[in-house]
Amino acid sequence: MSNWKRFIALGVLVFAGACTAGGQDDVDPPSSLQEDPGSPQLPSPETESLSFNESAALLTQATFGPSIEEIEDLENASASSWLEAQFDQPATLHFPRVLQKLPTGTRKDASGNNVRNAKHFAVDSFVEAAVMSDDQLRQRMAFALSQILVTSSMGNTNIDSNPHLQASYYDILVRNAFGNYRDILEEVTYSPAMATYLTYLRNRKGDPNSGRVPDENYAREVKQLFTIGLLELNMDGTPRLRNGNPIETYTNEDITGLARVFTGFSYDTSNFWESPGDNNASLRYAPLKIFPEMHSNLEKSFLGVTIPAGVSGPESVERALDTLFNHPNVAPFISKQLIQRFVTSNPSPAYVERVARTFESGRFTLGNGVAVGTGARGDLKATISAILLDAEARTPELRESSSFGKVREPLIRFTHWARAFKVNSADMSDQLTLRDAQGATKLSQQILRSPSVFNFYRPGYVAPGTSSGEAGLAAPELQIVSAASIPGYINVMNSYIFNFAVPDGGGANTNFQPNYNYEAALAEDPEALIDHLDRVIAGNRLLASTKQRMTSVLQDITINDATRREDLEARAQTAVFMTFTAPEYIIQR
Amino acid sequence: MTSRRKFLKNAGALGLFSAAGMGSTLGNFSALAAQSSGYKALVCVFFQGGLDNHDTILPYDTSSYNRYTDLRAPLFEEYGGDSASNSRGRDNLLPLSPGNAAAFGSRQFALPQDMAPLRTLFQNGNAAIVGNVGPLQQPVTRTQYENNKNLLPSKLFSHNDQQSTWLSLKPEGARFGWGGVFADAHLANNANSNETFTAISLAGNSVFLSGEAARPYQINADGVSEIRVFDRNRLAPTVGLSNDALDIMRDHLMSAGTQSGNLFVNDMADIRGASLEANDLFNDAFSSAPGLTTTFPNTNLGKQLKSVAQTISISGSLGVRRQVFFVAMPGFDTHSSQSSKIPTMQRDIADAIAAFYDATEQLGQALNVTLFTASDFGRTLTVNGGGTDHGWGGHHFVVGGAVNGGDIYGDMPLYDIGHDQEVGRGRLIPSVSVEQYAATLGAWFGLSNSELRAALPNLPNFSTSNLGFV
Repeated sequence: MSNWKRFIALGVLVFAGACTAGGQDDVDPPSSLQEDPGSPQLPSPETESLSFNESAALLTQATFGPSIEEIEDLENASASSWLEAQFDQPATLHFPRVLQKLPTGTRKDASGNNVRNAKHFAVDSFVEAAVMSDDQLRQRMAFALSQILVTSSMGNTNIDSNPHLQASYYDILVRNAFGNYRDILEEVTYSPAMATYLTYLRNRKGDPNSGRVPDENYAREVKQLFTIGLLELNMDGTPRLRNGNPIETYTNEDITGLARVFTGFSYDTSNFWESPGDNNASLRYAPLKIFPEMHSNLEKSFLGVTIPAGVSGPESVERALDTLFNHPNVAPFISKQLIQRFVTSNPSPAYVERVARTFESGRFTLGNGVAVGTGARGDLKATISAILLDAEARTPELRESSSFGKVREPLIRFTHWARAFKVNSADMSDQLTLRDAQGATKLSQQILRSPSVFNFYRPGYVAPGTSSGEAGLAAPELQIVSAASIPGYINVMNSYIFNFAVPDGGGANTNFQPNYNYEAALAEDPEALIDHLDRVIAGNRLLASTKQRMTSVLQDITINDATRREDLEARAQTAVFMTFTAPEYIIQR
Repeated sequence: MTSRRKFLKNAGALGLFSAAGMGSTLGNFSALAAQSSGYKALVCVFFQGGLDNHDTILPYDTSSYNRYTDLRAPLFEEYGGDSASNSRGRDNLLPLSPGNAAAFGSRQFALPQDMAPLRTLFQNGNAAIVGNVGPLQQPVTRTQYENNKNLLPSKLFSHNDQQSTWLSLKPEGARFGWGGVFADAHLANNANSNETFTAISLAGNSVFLSGEAARPYQINADGVSEIRVFDRNRLAPTVGLSNDALDIMRDHLMSAGTQSGNLFVNDMADIRGASLEANDLFNDAFSSAPGLTTTFPNTNLGKQLKSVAQTISISGSLGVRRQVFFVAMPGFDTHSSQSSKIPTMQRDIADAIAAFYDATEQLGQALNVTLFTASDFGRTLTVNGGGTDHGWGGHHFVVGGAVNGGDIYGDMPLYDIGHDQEVGRGRLIPSVSVEQYAATLGAWFGLSNSELRAALPNLPNFSTSNLGFV
């Protein structure tokens, strides 16, 4: 979309937004109004070098887990220069990798035979990239976005059976990870994966004769989950209140009106009902087209905007997405969720506001004075910079708060292990246990495997019966922590760290072989080994009680001359296992 | 167990923290305490996504049926139109003969053929239908719906929020569900010697099971959680650990005594310790469970309900006299391809529930176990082609030996648009509130009137607090 169109749409929207909200006067001021959200930058000029601990903290928030070498490399640089380097990394795209393994565009090889495990190849590519690729921040951003703009192969056989479709969808998020959120919205809307998942593929205009009306599914979720949410928000992410009550952003009439926009979508074949076959399989994952005769010609009214009757499908989609994208909620709604994926489950309102204002301005000045972002609303390069360089993320004292931090996502704990100990290969062949999410030998998380469009967990989840819950704190990832899932994580880490075969497939084989040489060399002295892991893996968060237990267990493993190498290795494995299963590790701070 | 966790529980019991909104049910039990003798279990079967009420209980009298197929013509065509194999063809439906048929005049109702086992339970008096249940703060008219949003539950038609409202009477973010608060009443009455196994979920950390004392304990549908980590053969294989060291490893994995300045670290430690301790106790009890002779269908719901039946069979060794269970089945958000999705799911529902009822009979617990269904919302009557969209009120089933079955409770609004009980496209304003539905179940479960009022704050807004179906 051209910038002038965006500019005009924004102008219209500001006016419409004010009307929707019923004017500013009767809305209660946000509780944070007295606070100055401050500059969206570090409070003091960035010093040119980071401590080991601060390097580790940044890389923990921003990557799939650092190795000691990566932490030490960053010690000699700065957060800003690291971000710049990440922005310049070439993107690891998954679709070409899937296509390389499956050049036919189907799950068959050139001879027409089914390729074993082909349906997992998109997940396989993702895990391999998360562990091995250098574009760590981009892949983390895509993973975060995939938890907002959710499609899933769970319970959807069309997506589950099509690795090309999964990879091409995921690549929208990878390619645009440092691009603009508006572009993502557009590509997602035209993607066959989303259209399949939220059922607007072949959604037809209404038919007064039969009583048929357009499917409302996407119209509802694109508003509730992908752009504005259910309640009007202040820029700091808190709900706007009128007479003490939150204000809902839309009514069912807005849904019905918007539903007319998402009609007429089908594959880019010659007719609406034609499904691509194996001979033109690429159309199964190419952007959809809108068939004019199936697109609603009626007036489309929603959120105070009216698209007159007769406006074409593509133009209607453009205006609808502009309207949603320019809604004042988008910046705080998306910014807060991104902060939750990278830094902390309960960012302060001022932190949310600083990031949201950056999302709106599209520009951010790094600590080294370099400006990033295009200056367009929704710029994600500026947004992620504001998230990671904010004082609340980067100031050690602020991270000491009892309410700071987040449960590390289970998949990221696993990749952290694989990266920290530099596994020889992240080839996913036969790693069945990692490919799926649910079960006693699974991690409860894998890309495109959430149980519904509501992701693995909800951003506002409050865990019952917990002290964080009593304090009114959200803990999204605790939604997948339970008596049933806890053994899953422990079992998976147990198998990989000690290098056993996993009963469901995975673990000990020629891949995912860790390198504990550094740790084994320290293992003669348990305390030295434990201090090393505490510093490199756990951000110096291991409690004295945990270290004491680790020491006792390690001392139980005696070092015999005849089996010296194996004994040292056993100590290293055991220490790594106890580190990765310590609650003070599992919480990222 | 850590002392901090105990403190929180005790503090809750003393009313230091109140279950805001759900009402604090604890503290006043001495006067009117829950009836906690014998064994009783409530089982919530949740249909995730919004079960289409109009495609589950269909109109059967010719006039209503014809209007219905007319309004749903595109979907009816996808089911096969006039073909003899159309499962929604009138000849293929299973008519219901409720004991209170007279209340509906000439109107008649039917189930799809895939739900035959549920119809048998209904006709035999072991299942009741409750028509048009949904979240309400108070009774509302169509005019009130259009003019006064403050009278309505918030965030209507949103999946996650209406799931939460069904289960906790508040949109997403609620901390207490009515299943958990019901359980609290019995825990305060010392019904269970082990509190952990009071509220059991087969389907995620449902807010439904969270009370001040009651916490959801989650087990897998395929059985109990497998714990492999304490097997010495799976630790340090080349060396092996002494028993003392294994005990220390065990303490580590249980996070015993973890004390951090960070709330999430403490929570993680508490959840881990409680979970692994409970898994051990559960596994011990489960290993001596009597086998079930009932054959359950090998479906997602079948496996979950089998686990519930097995758990009920070991209630004695688990030390519980009152239990609340939560099971769930996904896939009901049928915006498209409804004709190919719903019949299979309805067969799964009916087969699994019928097997579960048989199992409770086999266990001699049929009178003591009541199963009820719930869902995000009902769906629209008019269709979007091959599917339907989000609605509000929906029809539900209550199954068990104690159920006053064979009747249709609540109301069955007209299968039409433009009447006073619908708010566009045949979305139904509920005739019966979730709180009335819950209160009826809670009364059977043994809660006193004051406990029910405390658990269900909007109950006084409705004329009847016991619908009489159980």
